[in-house]
Amino acid sequence: MVEIITKSVEETEQLGEKIGAALKGDEVLALYGGLGMGKTAFTRGIARAFGCEDGVSSPTFAIVNEYEASKTIYHYDMYRVTSWDDLYSTGFFDYIGNGIIIIEWSENIENAIPDTAIRINIERLDDSVRKFTIEGDVDL
Amino acid sequence: MKILAMDSSAVSASVAISNDTAILGEFYTNTGLTHSQTLMPMCEALLKNTQTSLDDIDAFAVCKGPGSFTGLRIGIASVKGMAMALDKPCVAVSTLECIAYGGANLDGIICAVMDARCNQVYNALFRCKDGELERICDDRAIAISELEQELADVNEKIYLLGDGVYITKQNLSDDKYILPSSNNVYQRASSLALLAERKFKNNEIVSAEQLMPTYLRLPQAERELNNKKLNGGIK
Repeated sequence: MVEIITKSVEETEQLGEKIGAALKGDEVLALYGGLGMGKTAFTRGIARAFGCEDGVSSPTFAIVNEYEASKTIYHYDMYRVTSWDDLYSTGFFDYIGNGIIIIEWSENIENAIPDTAIRINIERLDDSVRKFTIEGDVDL
Repeated sequence: MKILAMDSSAVSASVAISNDTAILGEFYTNTGLTHSQTLMPMCEALLKNTQTSLDDIDAFAVCKGPGSFTGLRIGIASVKGMAMALDKPCVAVSTLECIAYGGANLDGIICAVMDARCNQVYNALFRCKDGELERICDDRAIAISELEQELADVNEKIYLLGDGVYITKQNLSDDKYILPSSNNVYQRASSLALLAERKFKNNEIVSAEQLMPTYLRLPQAERELNNKKLNGGIK
């Protein structure tokens, strides 16, 4: 388990980029933490590590965004996913192992998160200060 | 009669053309889930290389499920579109039956398993003898642990087939479980075509409009998906 503090949106993006650089390309990253925690900024950093410079936005309405980069990234928002049937019909299980999966609102699908997932909890310490707690198989 | 069979229900994809009980050609790939990009080019190439015109096809066959949500829809939509345009009948075959047919020449129990994630499999059991399959149970979604308990009392050789064999085998230690060579593990459109040929003769056909995927409800559906006790909770 690793704990990292970021003090601005830019630092959150940089942390994402650092973690992205340590990924092989088929991991599941489960993000936890409520609104305004910087999950999308963090994801933007990961995408940048794979050469994807723009187009990253919160998939609240689409449920999943797909970013074509050197590795395909599937960016999920599980906020409106409330049943197993919902989850199955998003194609979630089809994508596992076929790219990087980044999940916002992992709380909502906790029992479907693979055991091998990298779990990242984001906590607010101050208006712009966040604590990232990272568990799982990633070398930083 | 000629049948064009297409399968994209799980990780592999394949297309085959049969003429009565002979396979004229088959195109098989197992390179990850890109079926929306590969299935139709495979179909086109196979038609060309077998010098078959779509007008010569008497019926279309497809694996109806269980399987991956997107994979099933790609295969079924492709067949539906062609059958509708050409006004030809369709035959929908269980993916698990198609998998089991790959082992029809074995002697014993065939346990067809597809990875349904979260330690569950889609499964059906068959008894095979003299090249014939006899179905023992309906297609179902089941926890691997439960399947293991069920098979513990079986005193016959059990052949595991399907993309779930590796995850299932990890949990089953007994010598009675046998894994076939890797060319027989995954469902093949050639098996699908031969099964469809028989079903067609039994009048088990549907129209393009009637063709639908069969999704199996996972046993885990009874469980909570979320964990409300976690930090963050529900918005």
